[in-house]
Amino acid sequence: MTTATISANTRRMRGAVNRDTRFANTLASEWLKLATLRSTYITLGLGYLLSVATSAIVGIALGSTRDTWSGDISPITASMVGTVFGLIVYSVFGVLTVSREYASGTMRLTLTATPDRRQVFLAKLTLVTAIVTVAGVATTVSMFAISQAVFSATGMPTASFTDGDALHMVLGLGLAMPFFPIMGMAFGMLLRSTAGGITTALGLLWLPQIFGEFVPTWFQEHILSLLPSNGIDSVTVSHIESTPAYSAPLLGAAIAAAWLLASVGAAYIAFQRRDA
Amino acid sequence: MIEVKDLTKRYGETVAVDHLSFRVRPGVVTGFLGPNGAGKTTTMRMLLGLDVPTSGEVTVNGRSYRHIPAPMCEVGALLDAKAANGGHTARQHLAWIARAGGIPESRVASVLDLVGLTEVAGRRVGGFSLGMYQRLGIAAAMLGDPDILILDEPVNGLDPEGIRWIRGFLQQLAAEGRTVLLSSHLMSEMEATADHIVVIGRGRLIADTSIAEFTRRSTGSHVRVVSPHAARFAPVLQGAGAAISHEEHALIVTGLEADRIGALAAEHRFELHELAPRRASLEAAFMELTQGSQEYQGARSAATAVAPGVLAPTRMEN
Repeated sequence: MTTATISANTRRMRGAVNRDTRFANTLASEWLKLATLRSTYITLGLGYLLSVATSAIVGIALGSTRDTWSGDISPITASMVGTVFGLIVYSVFGVLTVSREYASGTMRLTLTATPDRRQVFLAKLTLVTAIVTVAGVATTVSMFAISQAVFSATGMPTASFTDGDALHMVLGLGLAMPFFPIMGMAFGMLLRSTAGGITTALGLLWLPQIFGEFVPTWFQEHILSLLPSNGIDSVTVSHIESTPAYSAPLLGAAIAAAWLLASVGAAYIAFQRRDA
Repeated sequence: MIEVKDLTKRYGETVAVDHLSFRVRPGVVTGFLGPNGAGKTTTMRMLLGLDVPTSGEVTVNGRSYRHIPAPMCEVGALLDAKAANGGHTARQHLAWIARAGGIPESRVASVLDLVGLTEVAGRRVGGFSLGMYQRLGIAAAMLGDPDILILDEPVNGLDPEGIRWIRGFLQQLAAEGRTVLLSSHLMSEMEATADHIVVIGRGRLIADTSIAEFTRRSTGSHVRVVSPHAARFAPVLQGAGAAISHEEHALIVTGLEADRIGALAAEHRFELHELAPRRASLEAAFMELTQGSQEYQGARSAATAVAPGVLAPTRMEN
């Protein structure tokens, strides 16, 4: 290869560079990075399928054993049992969007191409939020639709979207789905580790279940109510089914928002200041 | 033009880069040399705005990297060739980087062609050999057609054909007037590629000079003189400022160049049987200079055996 060929190969593209819309470039790049990875589709698909399948199977189980149930089962809450599986897998997705870059070393490429770290941070946050919001609503709507079909086929009571409580819960759980994935992204950024990020995000998610309902009521009311998952459930679930660990919806929203702000804020500061 | 000014980086107690200053000029290939752990990679990371200096600064064309509006069009970098997501194909890998820099998609095919990876463009990089990763890394660095190229150990893992290719490639880029900085811990590699070298050890500047000057200044360079009049010639040489040692029938002269020794012999009508300049190899000169600056020393005797005597750190400007 001669000198002339390198120049011929390279010099033509000057001026074609888009320097003006820097954030749009960063966002487009981050999107392309995710959209061309098979693991993105596998992870999101797995979250969706596990949730919907769980709700369908639980629906079938409930329908086939309904004669032995004494109490009444809400067709709304029963249809949402699969949510937790989606939440786990989508949270892993959130952690991976960042931790994978530290593990593979591509974070340095990302930050060399876009030295303004605010842009990279905002692009990643925007994408995780947007993708998991879409996936979350699709998941809860599908779970609800499949479960009602199962309930109807097995002669159980059903609910429909025209029911305000049902719409509140289905949309609420769907729209709240990005909460833990965003925290996962933040923990992935703080810990720069896939295992660490997943453990922390899922630990917070599972804490209420670990304590269960065997602890004293005051502990549920004053301590467990401060956990992020109980804060969110106070908004999305408490209008149908309540526990002492739930707060008033507005307070619950404030508790959840405080967690989100603290973790995302800490991640932002660390990402800005630390050596890459 | 890259300008490093009084650059210092500390990690707790450890000083990785210690008040380092040098310039990298356009039009030549500049080698950045030092033993492993000397601070080369840390310096390059600070140059790219990835690490923040404890004090001092490094600028690219007068600005810090983070303030360049379209950085990929000014600086192309290869830090870690294996930094890629194994699930991406070569084309996809380059595409997301290009898009981040606002560089048109068509450029991806051009750089793949430039480094000879067009045939494997659709293959996942997870299955690439180290040599292919190096070429992919260079392709990424060339995406923005930058005037400045920074490459950290680019020949690592390349086969002889790949090494020959990269040497030619970098020299062509320099010949086009671009600034090329490449690091290596292998002195022999620089001998064939670089025109100018910056040597550091324990984060400090040891030498900033041309390759030729570097070997010439090293104490390992000497002239071997064989003469039947050695006994009378030796005091004359010493009088002219040379240091003499004896090796069987020969005089080992340091501190005088061969032409001067020949002239002195002619002047005093001494017969000469042998007048042979012996250049220290670059490797030996390097070992000598960086001795004591290596973070981890194996057998100290092994290093001293190559080049006896410790040369005080010298700053050589040209």
